[in-house]
Amino acid sequence: MSINRREFLKSSVAASAAAAVGMPIARNAVAAAKAAEADWQWDKGVCRFCGTGCGIMIATKDGKIVATKGDPDAPVNKGLNCIKGYFNGKILYGKDRLTQPLLRMTDGKFDKNGKFEPVTWEQAFDEMEKQFRRAYGELGPTGIGVFGSGQYTVQEGYVAAKLLKAGFRSNNIDPNARHCMASAVVGFFQVFGIDEPSGNYDDIERTDAAVLWGANMAEMHPILWSRIADRRLTHDKMKVVNLTTYRNMSSDLADLEIIFKPQTDLAIQNYILREIVKRDAVDWDFVNKHCVFATGPVDIGYGMRNTDKYAFESEKDIQAKENSAVLDKYEAVAMRRKEGDVMEMKHTKAPLAHWTIDYEEFKRGVEPYTLDFVAELSKGDPDESLDDFKKKLQELAEIYIEQGRKVVSFWTMGFNQHQRGSWVNENMYAIHLLLNKQTSPGSTAYSLTGQPSACGTAREVGTFAHRLPADTVVMLKPHRENAEKLWKLPTGTVNPKVGSHITKLMRDLEDGSVKFAWVQVNNPFQATANANHWIKAAREMDNFIVVSDPYPGISAKVADLILPSSMIFEKWGAYGNAERRTQMWRQQVAAPGQARSDVWQMLEFSKRFKYKDVWGELKVPGLKAEGFEDGKLPDVSAAAKAMGYTGEESLYEVLFATADNKKFAWPDDVSKGHGNQTAELLGDGWFPEKALFEEYAAFGRGHGHDLAPFDMYMRDDVRGLKWPVVDGKETEYRFVEGEDPYVKEGQGVAFYGPALKAIPAGNLDGVTDQTKTKHTDKAKIFFRPYAAPVEQPDANYPFWLVTGRVLEHWHSGTMTRRVPELNRAVPTAQIFMHPADAEAQGLARNDVVWIESRRGKIKSIVETQGRNTMPKGSVMVPWFDESVFINKVTLDATCPMSKETDFKKCAVKVYKA
Amino acid sequence: MNLSAILVLLREDRFAEGVAMLARQPGVEVHHQEPATGRVILVQEAPSVNDEVDGLKAIKALPGVIFAELVYHYFEEDTNLQARPPADLDSYQGLGDVPEYLNAP
Repeated sequence: MSINRREFLKSSVAASAAAAVGMPIARNAVAAAKAAEADWQWDKGVCRFCGTGCGIMIATKDGKIVATKGDPDAPVNKGLNCIKGYFNGKILYGKDRLTQPLLRMTDGKFDKNGKFEPVTWEQAFDEMEKQFRRAYGELGPTGIGVFGSGQYTVQEGYVAAKLLKAGFRSNNIDPNARHCMASAVVGFFQVFGIDEPSGNYDDIERTDAAVLWGANMAEMHPILWSRIADRRLTHDKMKVVNLTTYRNMSSDLADLEIIFKPQTDLAIQNYILREIVKRDAVDWDFVNKHCVFATGPVDIGYGMRNTDKYAFESEKDIQAKENSAVLDKYEAVAMRRKEGDVMEMKHTKAPLAHWTIDYEEFKRGVEPYTLDFVAELSKGDPDESLDDFKKKLQELAEIYIEQGRKVVSFWTMGFNQHQRGSWVNENMYAIHLLLNKQTSPGSTAYSLTGQPSACGTAREVGTFAHRLPADTVVMLKPHRENAEKLWKLPTGTVNPKVGSHITKLMRDLEDGSVKFAWVQVNNPFQATANANHWIKAAREMDNFIVVSDPYPGISAKVADLILPSSMIFEKWGAYGNAERRTQMWRQQVAAPGQARSDVWQMLEFSKRFKYKDVWGELKVPGLKAEGFEDGKLPDVSAAAKAMGYTGEESLYEVLFATADNKKFAWPDDVSKGHGNQTAELLGDGWFPEKALFEEYAAFGRGHGHDLAPFDMYMRDDVRGLKWPVVDGKETEYRFVEGEDPYVKEGQGVAFYGPALKAIPAGNLDGVTDQTKTKHTDKAKIFFRPYAAPVEQPDANYPFWLVTGRVLEHWHSGTMTRRVPELNRAVPTAQIFMHPADAEAQGLARNDVVWIESRRGKIKSIVETQGRNTMPKGSVMVPWFDESVFINKVTLDATCPMSKETDFKKCAVKVYKA
Repeated sequence: MNLSAILVLLREDRFAEGVAMLARQPGVEVHHQEPATGRVILVQEAPSVNDEVDGLKAIKALPGVIFAELVYHYFEEDTNLQARPPADLDSYQGLGDVPEYLNAP
């Protein structure tokens, strides 16, 4: 490139950037920018990375993406991008991009121990079909499974869920989003009866305090952080609090930093609740009108297997606690019991049960959480004085309670990946509801999310083992019947038994109860805790694992068949972010080689099955539901024939290319000249992404989840819309009269979510009256106590290990970490330690060390400086780097309610390698 | 070659020295500035995306920088992205040949 061209481009890039953020620039600079971009085609898109949902503009030239910029018209990011924004264009062009199907073969035939060799799509599907039929024939709907994703586009998630639930009559589909926000979902359903936040990001510009609970927003949500920073600098009253287990970048801007011991956020919340009660700060008008008090069982286990049959010898002591545990001294106080008491875990099968209590019981529950007790339990930095720590807790309580101060609490994985993740979510709402700081602009408890469509797809479409679209679930007959009606399938098609959650899918592979798995848009063999078990299960058990992926991550490497996938701007799609904003984009460029969209892959696979293959009686071990024979799904062939089916139709025709869907024709004017790989390869004239979006949207319209028509999202003047979208108008604040069309006139506020409203009554110890009372339009204020983590440091494993993320990499780094093979020789994810801890172990900065837990060990490099400052006794390892495979070390304990893994706490030793 | 336009927010009382410091960063040119709001638009040129990320991190760490984020990104062939050979998969055949980090107990 000539110097002139380069200089010209630079001034053009600068002028475009200045214009994007609203900085005045000279007219000739604008003209120069326009000239430089003369032969580029710009279109709107959405960032493919975190859950914030930033708008980006994408420039294409000669069939390639040449530039991306922050979208100045996007209300989320107003022209900015974070570092990850760099990668939106570039991720498509890594050299090791997978471009053809690869099957493990020996002598031209599939062999689980063979080498990967290129095959045609036809050969790939042939083997896949054969292996699927083998597993399905032997084990039925529970013998197969899909590892889904919070990075699915809306349409991908819908196709996957429908293929599994309506087609194969299996609920064994669960997304990696289980690992990121399932605890938040339990919180939303139990408290409000409906999923997802009620506020929106504009709460940031309207608040007087942002309290971060285990959320390092400076690194993980930098664009939202830039908005918080701006508010902090321009609004005198604004305060920022960073509650965390180690000092991180978010502390730089914080007025108050609270370093707490892992898991003791539960105790700190209860201290705040006790202060609210003690200071008589409850807003009784609001609480009496709109809330009830509630609690649930505490003996719920830790979401591990209840048998040690598959455990390594060294894991057995921890696994045993799944069945019974001895209360430590803090837990004893926190639960009003005695130290040393044995708690039998009687509610591991029903952890979600809950009942109302009266306010006096609630008060009795929070009473033990005095400042002295909580400070001693939760102080996380041994070098900080107890008095200083107490002052901080008091200051924190004051920020929440202060009359007239608006407060937003933010959290993500720090809460959700937690052995009591659902409880910490619920406690957060309890604080905000008691103070009536939940529903007004600038005051709310705000659950952020980590993946671009954890909300829009995983949750709203319902790609979970228990969910159907738009907040409906497989366990409830009316919900199943609604789905069957919309899908034009006979009653009894949808399986009422909840499938395996994502960690259980791994356990199913290990114990042989799943023999066919399809991994889509995620990297579960790197992302699942206690990974030694699952790697071995994938490679050594009798199963067949298909991985659809654009790049070879760990999951692809342990697979039997790799299918090359199209990436974000090589297909049409839609994502939904953490403020209920649904955003869409067009295909911008063609996928390389034989890479194909996930939608196409699933639709093609569905062509290989006839309806009669799935409409007969099917065994489902353990199925017990009203209207079903135990252990069986009924034969629905007669009912299907009565509806006009012959059984000879393919699942593609029955589920996807239906007469209704074929009315949405491709090409379509909305494309504005952009291509559609899926439609063009199918070649039968319909527009799958549009048709399937409209079919899916029918589930939510009129039920509080209203989405706009497909074409409205594609309009040039629309940058996503926050549902419910009723009569073309989006909803800024839910549950509030005048804002939310579902709140009736005169109600003021209504927590109208329909789920879990009818519950029995009782006291802190259990139900005393089984009669279910319906608490229509009310939210629940839960009492949830502190519970000790199942594994804590001891003499053998003296350090807390917390895992996390760093700004430059995202998830497992398969996209962002396209780096030279050479780098593999040196692990790049470091272990952050306190210098004194390192010294005590005879370690120095940059030493190579082993990090070892009961479950496995890996090598890493010691870092005692840098952006993360650890308190003594804790170490932190980012998880993006597959050469520092930290999930071999982590514990697969989950919140028993949400089944979300706690990646944030286990015990390790660290020693020189 | 990669070009990125970065919005930097500087402390107003250290604006001039902040701009001078930014201009001294390798590959960085200051293009637009607005002292009243503390905002600066600079363009960073770097041979690879990794260098760009490192450059942005260095800018974020400068004294007086409140905030620095990307606005615009232009790129052409990026040699670093291509350094990893497509034959990568060959080294992961079967369990026996899985690299050490996948096998270590």
